[in-house]
Amino acid sequence: MAQCRVAVTGLGLINPFSGDLENFFSRLLNSESAIRLLTLDDPAGSLSLPALQCQDFNPVHLLGKPLSHTMDRFSQLGAAAAFSAWRDAGFSLDNNAERVDYGLSWGTGVGGVTTFEHGYKNLYRSNQRSASPLTVVLAMNNAAAAHIAIKLGLAGSCLTYSVACASSTAAIGEAFHSIRSGRASLMVVGGSEAPLAYGVLRAWEAMRVLAPGDADTAHAACRPFSKDRAGLVLGEGAGAMVIEEWDHAVTRGAHIYAELAGYGTSCDHTHLVRPNTEGEIKAIQQALAVGNLGADGIDYVNAHATATPEGDVAEITALKAVFGDHAATLPVSSTKSMHGHLLGATGVIEAIITVMALHKGAIPPTAHLDTVDPACEGVHHIIGKPLMDKPLRAALSNSFAFGGVNAVLAFRSA
Amino acid sequence: MDALLIIRQFLSEQYGIAPETITPETPLDKLGIDSLMFFELVFEFEGKLGVRSPKNEEIADLKTIGELIALIDNLRLEKT
Repeated sequence: MAQCRVAVTGLGLINPFSGDLENFFSRLLNSESAIRLLTLDDPAGSLSLPALQCQDFNPVHLLGKPLSHTMDRFSQLGAAAAFSAWRDAGFSLDNNAERVDYGLSWGTGVGGVTTFEHGYKNLYRSNQRSASPLTVVLAMNNAAAAHIAIKLGLAGSCLTYSVACASSTAAIGEAFHSIRSGRASLMVVGGSEAPLAYGVLRAWEAMRVLAPGDADTAHAACRPFSKDRAGLVLGEGAGAMVIEEWDHAVTRGAHIYAELAGYGTSCDHTHLVRPNTEGEIKAIQQALAVGNLGADGIDYVNAHATATPEGDVAEITALKAVFGDHAATLPVSSTKSMHGHLLGATGVIEAIITVMALHKGAIPPTAHLDTVDPACEGVHHIIGKPLMDKPLRAALSNSFAFGGVNAVLAFRSA
Repeated sequence: MDALLIIRQFLSEQYGIAPETITPETPLDKLGIDSLMFFELVFEFEGKLGVRSPKNEEIADLKTIGELIALIDNLRLEKT
């Protein structure tokens, strides 16, 4: 059976700078970082670290009181992003006919962890005898997807993928296969994460992978590929895309941003956290093959690079292995330098950035990259200012997750 | 604190339901109160008034705001 082409027709995200998607992308082109110092004061202790917060996000204003009350923050962020993408694709939130060929594919790493943390405090610290009746439905990892499907009338497949940092990338990729194979005409895809709870941050702190910083240095704490990189910066956020079968998009007159051309995924099966170059190579190669793309046809790679000592090197090594002679001129940037690592939501945010790069013919730089680590040399790092010298034909967006899961998306200009 | 006032405050603040539409005669389903919202209301009473959690059979047949208020008032009397 012939495989269908997949069009990207709607984009939506929660802009940590406030403003819309255009604003977000132009700030990235300008090397602006949305990372700031986060301070949490809990009776158990105080915590200060660089983080990405969506401080101006107002769920009641965007979603209304009844809906936002029945959502954990990860669902609030997700629903707002999804509704934005839906409207961007030319649909209305008001008149949704039930469509069994329209589905949803969502990603989250820790789901409603804030709700659990709040509940635990009440039970164990305040000795409350019972938990809020909404605890389960707020906290369950598929809550965001459920709310979105209810509002948009999506009657097809509605699955949530939890694969750590690759969650939303996997969600997008699996939805891509659904459309390609004819199982769905349209899928709302994306991810959301709200992990900035005291217990979660202490857990990450214990792994000694978080970048330090203070009020003055927090904005530059995440320095992928840099010789003096000091670790990753966590954040909260959400993004969504509407992807649909190509002819379905053209028939209804949809604006097409780009083609979702390929997807590759593999498992390192070697270590819970240590990245494995061989696994990454397999995923990249699979994305290229599925998209019928050659190494010489890729004009940009949005890297996973989280600014950890090992991760950044493993990724560049994998890119050099796949791209061979083309690696030296392959434009690469890690936009986590500006938006941090949103765990389950990172993949879709970076996919959106990659689509925008193709759409605008502009590649955002890796911010704060003064001196490239020699172990990360060998590709064309975009530094200081965006690369806007020519139209872009195709691009990759990488996600390499804890647990050894690798997921790579390939996009082609429309 | 008056049980009706607690109900009006909760439903208004959390769900945007206009307080004047909530009277003892109002059927619960007319306010769009589903099972989860109802359990939340009961949880609110436990927190605000310190009453015990009512058993399933005590809440199974409640149809109106007034019947809920009567149950809560009984639970308050139990405490005294």
